[in-house]
Amino acid sequence: MEIEHISMDSNPKSFPLPVDSENKATEFRVYSISAPHMRSFQLSWISFFACFVSTFAAPPLLPIIRDNLNLTSTDIGNAGIAAVSGAVFARIAMGTACDLFGPRLASASLILLTSPAVFCTSISNSSASFLLVRFFTGFSLATFVSTQFWMSSMFSGNVVATANGIAGGWGNLGGGATQLIMPLVFSLIRDSIGVTKFTAWRISFFIPAIFQTLSAYAIFFLGQDLPDGNYKKLQKSGEKHKDNFQKVFYNAISNYRGWILALTYGYCFGVELTVDNIIAQYFFDRFNVNLHTAGTIAASFGLANVFSRPGGGILSDIMAKRFGMRGRIWTLWVVQTIGGLLCILLGRVGSLGASVAVMLVFSVFVQAACGLTFGVVPFVSRRSLGIISGMTGAGGNVGAVITQLIFFRGSRYSTETGITLMGVMIICCTLPILLIYFPQWGGMFFGPSSKGISEEDYYISEWNSTEKEKGFHQASLKFADNSRGERGKRIGSAPTPPIHHHGTPSNASV
Amino acid sequence: MAGRAFFVSSLVLAFLVASSYGVNFSSLKRTLLVTTSHASGRVLKAGEDQITVTWAYNTTFSQGTDSNYKTIKVKLCYAPISQVDRAWRKTQDDLQKDKTCQFKIINKAYSPSNNSFSWTIERDIPTATYFVRAYAYNSADEEVAFGQSTDEHKTANLFQIQAISGRHTSLDIAAAAFSAFSVVSLFGFFYLEKRKAKASQQK
Repeated sequence: MEIEHISMDSNPKSFPLPVDSENKATEFRVYSISAPHMRSFQLSWISFFACFVSTFAAPPLLPIIRDNLNLTSTDIGNAGIAAVSGAVFARIAMGTACDLFGPRLASASLILLTSPAVFCTSISNSSASFLLVRFFTGFSLATFVSTQFWMSSMFSGNVVATANGIAGGWGNLGGGATQLIMPLVFSLIRDSIGVTKFTAWRISFFIPAIFQTLSAYAIFFLGQDLPDGNYKKLQKSGEKHKDNFQKVFYNAISNYRGWILALTYGYCFGVELTVDNIIAQYFFDRFNVNLHTAGTIAASFGLANVFSRPGGGILSDIMAKRFGMRGRIWTLWVVQTIGGLLCILLGRVGSLGASVAVMLVFSVFVQAACGLTFGVVPFVSRRSLGIISGMTGAGGNVGAVITQLIFFRGSRYSTETGITLMGVMIICCTLPILLIYFPQWGGMFFGPSSKGISEEDYYISEWNSTEKEKGFHQASLKFADNSRGERGKRIGSAPTPPIHHHGTPSNASV
Repeated sequence: MAGRAFFVSSLVLAFLVASSYGVNFSSLKRTLLVTTSHASGRVLKAGEDQITVTWAYNTTFSQGTDSNYKTIKVKLCYAPISQVDRAWRKTQDDLQKDKTCQFKIINKAYSPSNNSFSWTIERDIPTATYFVRAYAYNSADEEVAFGQSTDEHKTANLFQIQAISGRHTSLDIAAAAFSAFSVVSLFGFFYLEKRKAKASQQK
């Protein structure tokens, strides 16, 4: 959240990457660690990956944990739901914290506050304590919001969906990688130290916990909130004003697009979380593969994230270049609906080979839809970017909780029927995308408003006249200017602003 | 040529089909007598207590019924109460899919009488209620008979085992120390951040 008073003596800063007038990078170089843009990317995806590894560290070791703690299927189901429900509230809180304190402190704090839960998983001794540690560990999934917020603060509109998609996708990878990492760590500990399996699994949890803690340290010492510096420093020097929480919050919840995206994200990301929890058991029970094979199949679902979510983000940016925001919204609806159709199919196929094949294609579409969602989110609001990101992210987790409660708990539906019905629900809950409309760019069925509303009109409307008099809306103006690319290749009334390597805006529009 | 290939492939297929279905439990005769003895009146501790199992052929069956018995495998099995709401311990008639008896006590060559074994309960046995069952195998390693220490409904003569917790004091201390360290370093971060902001303001 950057609101700058243009101080007379600001030095033009030079960055390793080309930037726009807000100093956001207009290029994305995935192998680079140059500060501040690419370094923020590396820090955010690695820490998010660590949190995902911790949150889903228990499922691959459940065959041992369930015997040690005397768990029933109901206990395991409840713990799985608890693991994803904690983040619902945490994601909204994280969005607020990013708006007010910046993504660096917000994410480092959350990671350090949740790593005790991972350490304490080692000492749990009952179904109740197991549920509690999974619940609190799940809070760490709120780092998703700080990841997306940070990328949206560091990267310009033409690459923001790519940055968001890769950071989100490579972080989500942790959910798949952990299915391979934890059993490996467990066997290494059991064989090298020679402890019983009931002790070895406990020691194993120290690995993700320490990794998580170290990532928080890296964020704090190496990271930076904005291209121009950190929040606290910018606030104290007067370059950035501290916004009012109530205003930011009200602005977010009164924007209907945030609510629609929260619902639809529940049926791409929420579905992904649900599948992470149930898919190993599904293959184990229905096709009688052994636990190791079931775990590998489950891992491959999550590992597809390495290219499918980033692919969604990249696709969003490509469609935006040609068709603008309307292209982003259409692609999101099409890809997510196809995901729903594949889900229906997954529940219907009866052979192992076909199931694995359908599951892999399904994973690509569902994860691409997640990437496409966060191609639209950065444009919904400028002032309340954090809370909108948090609401959408939280909606993902709500979708996971609701879906697991309705279809995958108890014995009302067989797992395959549950999967088919989940597919139907995906298609229904994706329809509201038809209603998203940006007056300056249009929606799925309507073009931009005939009243000639511009990007400035939309983003400035988030501020009232008193605030505008004080100049708090300056950053929104810059953002509006930089977002003109969302018109697509149609000729807009204003030319695309030239891109500078230095930080000074080309014309100080007041 | 083609005939031979067809014969070989159908043989392989038949073999595969045969090996993918196990023997059904309901087809086995209960010809073995199995008894267990252990410390009574309390829960047995994994890693510490012992169970003595004895098994013998029930001579009331006609002579020669045990002619194909080659090996005996004695197993520790879950009682129904420990299978409730736990699909990974489910009883299935197809013995290849059955998950009732997951722990091996002892495997021995078959002899009709004088069989006994004292087993120290292993440290990885989970907390549950159990009974003991012995399967007799023929030379093709297929189950042909069984005996168990409980009745047909698996309600009599059950015993309980308490698992080790797997926890150690050193683990408890490490977990507490690392957790405290994480929280304390967070406050350290806030303090450092405030100091940096003040310092840059004074510049």
